[in-house]
Amino acid sequence: MFLKGLTASGAASILSWSGLFTPSAFAEQAKKDQKHCILLWLTGAPSQFETWDPKPGRPTGGPWKSMPTKIPGVHISELMPKTASIMDKLAVVRNMKTKQSEHFQGIDLLQRGAPPRPPFIRPTIGSVLAQQLGQLDSPIPNFVLFDPCPEGNEFKEFKAGNWAGWLGAEYGPVRVGGDYKIADVTRLPGVSDADLEAREALRSFFTKKYENERHSAAAKSQNAAFARVKGLMSCADLFDLEKLPAKDKEKYGPGVFGLNTLQARHLVENGAPFVMVSNGMPWDSHVFHNEIYQMLVPDLDKIIYHLVTDLEERGLLDKTLVVIMGEFGRTPWINAARGRDHYPDAWSLAMAGCGIKRGIVVGATDEDGVDCVDKSFNEMNLFATIFSALGIDPYAEYNLPNLPTFHRVENKSEPIKEILA
Amino acid sequence: MADEKSNDLKTEFVKEHSIPTAVLGLDLFPDDKRALLACLDGGVYELDLESGKTTPLAKHDSYASSVTVLPNSNHAVSGGYDGRLIWHDLSARNATRTVPAHKFWSWQSRTSPDGKLVASVSGQYLCGGYKYEPASASEPPVKIFNAASGEVVHQFEHIPPVQALAFSPDSKLLAAGNLMGETRIWDLATGKQISQWTTPNFTGWGIIKGHYYTGGIYALMFTPDSQQIYAAGMGTTTDPAAGNGRQLWQRFAFTENPVRKVSETKDGESGAGLMEALAWHPSHEYFVMAGRLFQGKWNTAIFDAATGSLKHHFDAKLRVTHARFTNDGKRLILAGAVGQEKKKDGKWPNFGRVKIYSVA
Repeated sequence: MFLKGLTASGAASILSWSGLFTPSAFAEQAKKDQKHCILLWLTGAPSQFETWDPKPGRPTGGPWKSMPTKIPGVHISELMPKTASIMDKLAVVRNMKTKQSEHFQGIDLLQRGAPPRPPFIRPTIGSVLAQQLGQLDSPIPNFVLFDPCPEGNEFKEFKAGNWAGWLGAEYGPVRVGGDYKIADVTRLPGVSDADLEAREALRSFFTKKYENERHSAAAKSQNAAFARVKGLMSCADLFDLEKLPAKDKEKYGPGVFGLNTLQARHLVENGAPFVMVSNGMPWDSHVFHNEIYQMLVPDLDKIIYHLVTDLEERGLLDKTLVVIMGEFGRTPWINAARGRDHYPDAWSLAMAGCGIKRGIVVGATDEDGVDCVDKSFNEMNLFATIFSALGIDPYAEYNLPNLPTFHRVENKSEPIKEILA
Repeated sequence: MADEKSNDLKTEFVKEHSIPTAVLGLDLFPDDKRALLACLDGGVYELDLESGKTTPLAKHDSYASSVTVLPNSNHAVSGGYDGRLIWHDLSARNATRTVPAHKFWSWQSRTSPDGKLVASVSGQYLCGGYKYEPASASEPPVKIFNAASGEVVHQFEHIPPVQALAFSPDSKLLAAGNLMGETRIWDLATGKQISQWTTPNFTGWGIIKGHYYTGGIYALMFTPDSQQIYAAGMGTTTDPAAGNGRQLWQRFAFTENPVRKVSETKDGESGAGLMEALAWHPSHEYFVMAGRLFQGKWNTAIFDAATGSLKHHFDAKLRVTHARFTNDGKRLILAGAVGQEKKKDGKWPNFGRVKIYSVA
């Protein structure tokens, strides 16, 4: 199973594969060319009013004001002063319009970039980027998902599903964060390096033989899992929060979402192609909306500021796409519980870094935030933008034996050209 | 009308006034004919309870959260999410003083029964720990002002957000309760804290959906002898998006050491939903608790003060933010909001409500 056409990032993978034979030169080049993506996934659906598209003073506006940003004439919520100070590094889209207003369906749509077409399962953005940006020989997982919340209703249900779809299990996420530690990656006492390698060679020989002769998907997944564990054993320290500098933890923490974002930065610094950070479904504010957002948004503000600033200081921002979004927005009108409900008709997201213009706001909503003005973008426009920004052909065709023709982005949907660098 | 009968108390729906925006705070004029409203649009309004006519007074820069008449005067004081307290001349219907009380919201403000003090509570919930425990305050979240001069009399420390407060009937004590269910009480003559305790029953930590704290104490009310105090809010929930905790009040003997929980909403007498309002009937034989109905039969209930038993209850079909008996005890006034509807013909329909019930 592969994609027709050679892409920029596909080339990066081949360089890496070649690096197996001439390690130093090609591996160095591959590392230099490596592109990354960090997705701050604001599960539960964040309110655009208290973040990127405030409507102060309007009946829908909520209690907070807006504040000026580094972009002249552009205001965001006063809950985000740090982000306002680096708006010249961000791109904000204020006219997202999608069609799913329930969490599971919304998460599915915005994680896969197209409506479902059973029985075929389209891979999530993380799996596609893991395949396209990942290094074949990298011990670091190509798709890391931080999510410390063991429950979470619809997100829990989604997490239990098939992330990699038709790409295969090896492109699924390694899930860590919070109380989720990487289990079973410690070598047993008394097993030497040589013993371990010998056992793995023997296991690999037989299971690979079985996989090839029987065309066994199960064996293929098992081999992929062993390879992943082997990699994890060699890079377990990268996942150890305790090993990160105290001053960094102070900047991003003390909340778990910030600390997991710090770990995402650290993983990217060490070569991880795709890291997604989530934290249950905290943004789902049907009740206690203002009571929750008074805390959540300032926390997010700090995290965005430090992540973007740190990536830039490390020379990684031009190679790392940062995406900040949820599955939809929240209603302009306030419900009887003084909360905001689900709203896919007019919502916002933000991006920064690789392939993205700096300091731009695209799209607008009307004075009360009810509708998008003039035009809007959907999930396919968004996915075309993400792929284009990372140098991946958005319209490449999947060559799937005995399956219909699928493309990374269907219908030749246009990217949001205004924000592409 | 959805009244449910009780053995010795009856309420009857009288009328409803539709207000353009949600009502967060209410107080009555001494003549019981007019009310003051603090509203979501920042406005403080005078409401004629008979005709429903509203007259604007001054406006806050964000939500107006509370308004209380200053006893023995012709003034009222409102607090808002702009962190300000505004003194209103009720005859001239204008603002006479504005005090920048807090950097963050005034969650609630009250005037003391003797009319000499104004208190306001504030504080932002900011992440202070791995599990999103509240961070400590950047300024004292409890402030008390001289009602005549507007000058600060006391500033008290507490863990933010401090969402509720109450003066004792003798005006000697002030109580303030927070998100984490902690109540502190101060002696206003000395400025010394005389009591502090925490009840875990009003605060939820989101096991489902979000790892953070919600709920806390939303209303406080001393007993007439100033020896005990009621707290109200919502029982513990693990799903912050549902607001499905138990409709709950608890009564504490705060002069005892350790502080003792005297009683609480009895099992089987409550549904689910956040309770935001507590008020005594002038007879002090009953009190009302009201708020939101998530599940169950009522969002407004009258309890027997002596036994704590539910005497009467009904669903007022709105989220009640404030409840008051009139000074003659013959009427119950509920203020709050229904859900905001979509724009119709270019206008946002009214969603604030004031409902009036007779009490017999």
